[in-house]
Amino acid sequence: MSASVGKQPLYLKAAISGFVILWLIVAAFPFLWTVWGSFKVEADFFSRVGWWNAIVGTRTELQTGSPFTGDGYYGAWVTRDFWRAVVNTGIVTISVTAISLVLGTLGGYALARSGHKYAFWILIAALVFRAMPHITLVSGYLLPFFELNIWGHLATSIIVLVAINQPFTLWMLHSFFLSIPKDLDESAMVDGCTRFQAFRLVVIPVMWPGVITTGLFSFLLAYNDFAVTSMLLSQDNQTMVPKISSFLGSIQEQGNVMYAVAAVVSATVPLFILVLFFQRQIVSGLTAGAVKG
Amino acid sequence: MAQIRLKNVCKRWGSFVGVDNFDLEIPDREFLVLLGPSGCGKTTTMRMIAGLETVTEGEIWLGDRMVNKLEPKDRDISMVFQSYGLYPNMTVYENIRFPLRVRRIPKEEHDKRVMRAAEMVELTDFLHRRPAALSGGQRQRVALARAIVREPNAFLMDEPLSNLDAKLRVSTRAQIKNLHHTLKTTTIYVTHDQIEAMTLADRVVVMNKGVVQQVGTPTEIYDTPANTFVAGFIGSPAMNLIAGTMKDGVFSGQNISVSGFNKSIAGEVTLGFRAEDANVATEGGEISAPIYSIELLGEATMISMRVAGELVSIKAAKDFRAEIGDTISASVPAGICHLFDSKTGARIEQD
Repeated sequence: MSASVGKQPLYLKAAISGFVILWLIVAAFPFLWTVWGSFKVEADFFSRVGWWNAIVGTRTELQTGSPFTGDGYYGAWVTRDFWRAVVNTGIVTISVTAISLVLGTLGGYALARSGHKYAFWILIAALVFRAMPHITLVSGYLLPFFELNIWGHLATSIIVLVAINQPFTLWMLHSFFLSIPKDLDESAMVDGCTRFQAFRLVVIPVMWPGVITTGLFSFLLAYNDFAVTSMLLSQDNQTMVPKISSFLGSIQEQGNVMYAVAAVVSATVPLFILVLFFQRQIVSGLTAGAVKG
Repeated sequence: MAQIRLKNVCKRWGSFVGVDNFDLEIPDREFLVLLGPSGCGKTTTMRMIAGLETVTEGEIWLGDRMVNKLEPKDRDISMVFQSYGLYPNMTVYENIRFPLRVRRIPKEEHDKRVMRAAEMVELTDFLHRRPAALSGGQRQRVALARAIVREPNAFLMDEPLSNLDAKLRVSTRAQIKNLHHTLKTTTIYVTHDQIEAMTLADRVVVMNKGVVQQVGTPTEIYDTPANTFVAGFIGSPAMNLIAGTMKDGVFSGQNISVSGFNKSIAGEVTLGFRAEDANVATEGGEISAPIYSIELLGEATMISMRVAGELVSIKAAKDFRAEIGDTISASVPAGICHLFDSKTGARIEQD
């Protein structure tokens, strides 16, 4: 067997490599194209003459004297205060992740260790709410939020995002907790822990891959959200995604679209770093949950 | 150290009865074994003592405290789990130290006590390892060390040997026996293995379907089983049980006729005797039947025969040789026989 694995026919090898390369190009192209184009002027990136302008940067060279320019970034970050959106996104995502994880680990643990039948129905209800489009929740919230005069604040959208995210974290963490044997908490309790100490000192240290994976998904949900943040945040409090959308959607002036392109790249880079940094935990977390949960 | 009292303890889940009216007093320093087949309620009983399961009815006393409503941590008992329940993120040292840490025992004492517990179970060479890097027997010993480090009122052990291989089971069994001798702590030990029960116990409680069948020393349980369940559960092979009729002091059934019983007993009864008490007779034995199978055990030869519809085992000398199908005779005098009521299964006293 091992010999035959080593000696695949050449055409098969070529086909496999070809497919992988093709897939890589398809998957990565939009992003690489955007990164490259973000250093050009609008006349090149959205050229009517030909797509190669975006690559060589003819107009960019004419307008700025060099084939690459940081004008898009300067415009977005400095002129149009994109940094404020970055700070807002940071506040929203970190808060949503932290709150979701605190409630999710406690709730998931309780549901996983509960012997009652209603635990199952709570999870089913959570699944139903998870399945609903986010916008349905938002439309219901709008009027009460106006009346209570809490529309437009970061805290408001944090609460709504946590509500949307919580069913998912409960499910995910519940299945992680199920994969941890009950004997572990019980032996901690006999050894002298309260239920909460057993949870904190014994169960959670074993749960890290699950907590990190779930935390990452919560982070991404809050980071990428458009429906909630665009409806519930005032202009000053906007997070990155609605801000980018407003660059694209406001009245066109020269270079404005390039702000959006530069902002998109700025918003994507942290995600890459994050996933690369946590990839080991994510993979072990996903498989642990999948096999045993 | 403390005595443990269970007063009419019951455990029910809805209409299902897990443990029915368990009533027992366990004196200080006793090694008590709860023995029974899977699902007989022995583990549930232990978990109720530990506080991991609520008590539906009755009272559990540890020393002079009624502990029904106490959390496990407040009962001052320690427990060894079947799956060991070691903390995978901690080293062996930290695992053993954990009970001291959460009970806020002064830090200066930790090292001394951990080292002493580790020495008792011969783990001093592995203290820096994680449980994942240990063999099954070593993990078992970590669980033991963690239980003894605290010097609790009582030890509870839930089938601690069932995940070990046969050889290790024997040596760990000896170690547990020795630990109990050294520490003299009241111990309750749950097992379905009757050999473990016989070798370890001061007293054995045999349970079936949530009901206590018999409480006694290993010898009592072995020599005078209280009913057919205990008789059939204890011993290897289990006691031979034969249905038949008693009339005028003579028990008779197909291929069997035993005389010399008390004449006051009459009617349908179950007769029991142990394989090692019976003997092969040259002729005129109480049983006369063809051999169904013959097994060489090394130290003896085990013969089975079909008597009154049951397979009956008889232990013969190790040099006994015969063919399957040969008709032989076996001596089963009334003196080695036990009698049980054929309906209730309860023992019938013969004097």
